[in-house]
Amino acid sequence: MAQISLERQVSKRSPLEAGIDRVWRFFCSVRAAVVEIVILAVLVLIGTLRGSSVPRGIADHVPGTGGLVDRWYAWDAFHSLPFMGMLTLLAVAIAICTVNRAPGIWSSIVNPTVTTTHGFLSNADLSARMAASDDRDAFAARLQEALRRRRHRVLSAERNGEIHVYADRYRWGKLGTFPFHLALILVLVGGVVGARWGFRDDEFIVPEGVTREVGHGTGVSVRVDRFSETYLEMGAPKEYRSDLTLLKDGNEVKQGSITVNNPMTYHDMVVYQSGFGQAVRIQVADKSGNLLMDDMIPLGPFQAKNNPDAPAGVLDIPPAGVRLTAIAPDTNPANRPDLDDLNLRSGQMYLQLRPLTANAALSGTVESVVNQGQTTRLGDLDVTFVREKRFTVLQIARNPAVPIFIASALLLVGGLACTFYFPHRRVRGIVSAAAGGGAMVTLAPLARRDWSGQRAFETLLDGLERDLGLPIERVRREHPPPDRAAATRQEPATT
Amino acid sequence: MEALIRLSFYSFAAASLALTLSAIFYILYALGRVRVRQTALTTGTGTTVIGATATREPASSGMGGLATTLGWIGVVFQGAAIVTRSIAAGRLPLSNMYEFSTTFIFLAALVYLIFERWYGVKQAGAVVMPLAVAMALYVWSLPVSMREVDPLIPALQNLPLMTVHVSLAILSYAAFTVSFAAAVLFLIAEGRRISWLPSPALLDDLSYRAVTIGFPAITLVLILGSVWAYRAWGTYWQWDPKETATLFTWLVYGVYLHTRSLRAWRGRRSAYILLLGFAAVMFTYFGNYIFGGLHAYGGV
Ligand code: HEM
Repeated sequence: MAQISLERQVSKRSPLEAGIDRVWRFFCSVRAAVVEIVILAVLVLIGTLRGSSVPRGIADHVPGTGGLVDRWYAWDAFHSLPFMGMLTLLAVAIAICTVNRAPGIWSSIVNPTVTTTHGFLSNADLSARMAASDDRDAFAARLQEALRRRRHRVLSAERNGEIHVYADRYRWGKLGTFPFHLALILVLVGGVVGARWGFRDDEFIVPEGVTREVGHGTGVSVRVDRFSETYLEMGAPKEYRSDLTLLKDGNEVKQGSITVNNPMTYHDMVVYQSGFGQAVRIQVADKSGNLLMDDMIPLGPFQAKNNPDAPAGVLDIPPAGVRLTAIAPDTNPANRPDLDDLNLRSGQMYLQLRPLTANAALSGTVESVVNQGQTTRLGDLDVTFVREKRFTVLQIARNPAVPIFIASALLLVGGLACTFYFPHRRVRGIVSAAAGGGAMVTLAPLARRDWSGQRAFETLLDGLERDLGLPIERVRREHPPPDRAAATRQEPATT
Repeated sequence: MEALIRLSFYSFAAASLALTLSAIFYILYALGRVRVRQTALTTGTGTTVIGATATREPASSGMGGLATTLGWIGVVFQGAAIVTRSIAAGRLPLSNMYEFSTTFIFLAALVYLIFERWYGVKQAGAVVMPLAVAMALYVWSLPVSMREVDPLIPALQNLPLMTVHVSLAILSYAAFTVSFAAAVLFLIAEGRRISWLPSPALLDDLSYRAVTIGFPAITLVLILGSVWAYRAWGTYWQWDPKETATLFTWLVYGVYLHTRSLRAWRGRRSAYILLLGFAAVMFTYFGNYIFGGLHAYGGV
């Protein structure tokens, strides 16, 4: 019936209206949502496998897929247009679906249909019958009282000489899908806000004792007061720690130390410990005292042959046509001292110069071990080991979307908890006067093919049996298995 | 310390044995036995006809009871293995594939046994327990060096977050394993009336209830994972393969939750999605073997 009148209405509309209606219905459709989520999932899978050896394996085993696999590795699915498009589509679908469903669900909670039919009750998978000697009204009152005691909201109405009873529990649980789905949109909004108004600096390098501006309009600077690293006996790093001072417009505003999992927060800006390094400041001057170079050389591991695992660094000095190599003492206990020919002590630095070009300031390789602050003559050049310095590598990020993410996390979890753990339980019944005096009631849950719902109903019946002191006859009806019944109907289930 | 770690390993060995026996008894129970029923019919002319029908029924409840008892013994030993190792390490065993899998075996068996009590059916044990045993075999196949307790690298040194994030991940995998088991039985049972399996409606509901544990858990895994990432790396989401594999798994179960409310998809097709979901769980679980990326520690 409803179907026919709807179609008539549609045919009277203008093409524009009909088009809008169709788009609207597309966005409301759970089936379309399923297709959209499936497409999104496929894109996520493609993007995930890109980070693995699986496509390579396919290329190796299936001839002719090499080109495709190369394209696969080259394609960043997560920042692609189709991916963004699907996210947008889903966000729009969720919004429209919410607007579409909310009023109906709201009124089914606030204003449920109280009356039912004998057909519904006798067709239910599980129903219950109870007979009592009281008259109809007294029995209905007793029943309602018992249902209320079992924490049900009870509504009733009289129709054709019978009293219809509707009882439900956890009616608000149904609303849980709204915060959940809206939070999905909120997560996307948070992502956009973070990308648009936040920033992230991955390699913010500050030597010990140095102050550096963060920039990005923050007016904040970071000073590294001290950096320390500790190792476990085995040589694995145990902890990196930077003692920091934050300055806002030149004034100290915060002080503290950070380690890898314990960043420092200042308003919506966060400073993380990411790594560290060592650098050495070297000055090189020619015979007549002209400074050719004054620079920090960052020291990394595994660079020099005569001390393969000590921190070392290399820098070319084009004005002199030479390459400078610096090797610092080996402080990491995991490193192998037997590989170490130099035996440097703390405070010493090994320096080496090698000619790069024909007109270099020296003819062969020259080397020397110097102490901090000392100058040594290598070939025609004066080389000074000014000092050694450690630098810390920080990450600085500001994400104004943090409150949005917190809110969406709460809504996601809370919404799911309501939907899953407080399922709306509903019972319908009709109380009628029995022919030979007394009254009887038939009750059934709205729990078709819902095993848990039926079990909850049975638990309720046990309680009613005890409270009312009446035996209850339980009636079970066999239905065809769910899938068979399903094949004939295609529309989404109503809740 | 050393003694505790050894004790933990012996406990795990005992659990492996108990769970293996339990799996065998669950399978025997679920395969059931053929029982011949004789029915006497009296026809209108007064002749009596004896009809014999062979039916399958769950094997004796004794066998099922034994399977359950052994399962609980396995859970207790596995729990003891976890507790002793936690005492030795000063944290829950969650940080490499050996530790992770030990906890998975414990939770998969435990979550299953709780569902068994709740629903009063034992047949799904014939799927879950062999999976727990397969995981135990995997643990036995891991290099011996993994049985030792290693200190955590700096990136993992956030105990409360690590504990909750990783244990919820394992809990969700365990719950999804149970829903997978019920879906397998559902696909066997649906459409036919098989006397030795629980009703399809019950199996469908069991799968769904397990997902109502697993889905919020994996949602929390994603949330806490991003909180942790924000604290450790300065960004909520890195598109790291382990993250996106989890997102994929989450989406598959999201699809399941939706198809369950479509009449045409409820039942068989939803059960197929649960099989796919379990494949996604395994993909996420063993992903470390094929992914690089930030979750690559864990000693594989
Ligand atoms: C196009 C976007 C979406 C639409 C239109 C949509 C629609 C719906 C609808 C109508 C329901 C209620 C089903 C019922 O009454 O049982 C629902 C439930 C649900 N949806 Fe969505 N959804 C969308 C996106 C998503 C996404 C992306 C996810 C996450 C994976 C998701 C997760 C869920 C969950 C967990 C439920 C609860 C299922 C239950 O009540 O048993 N939805 N969705």
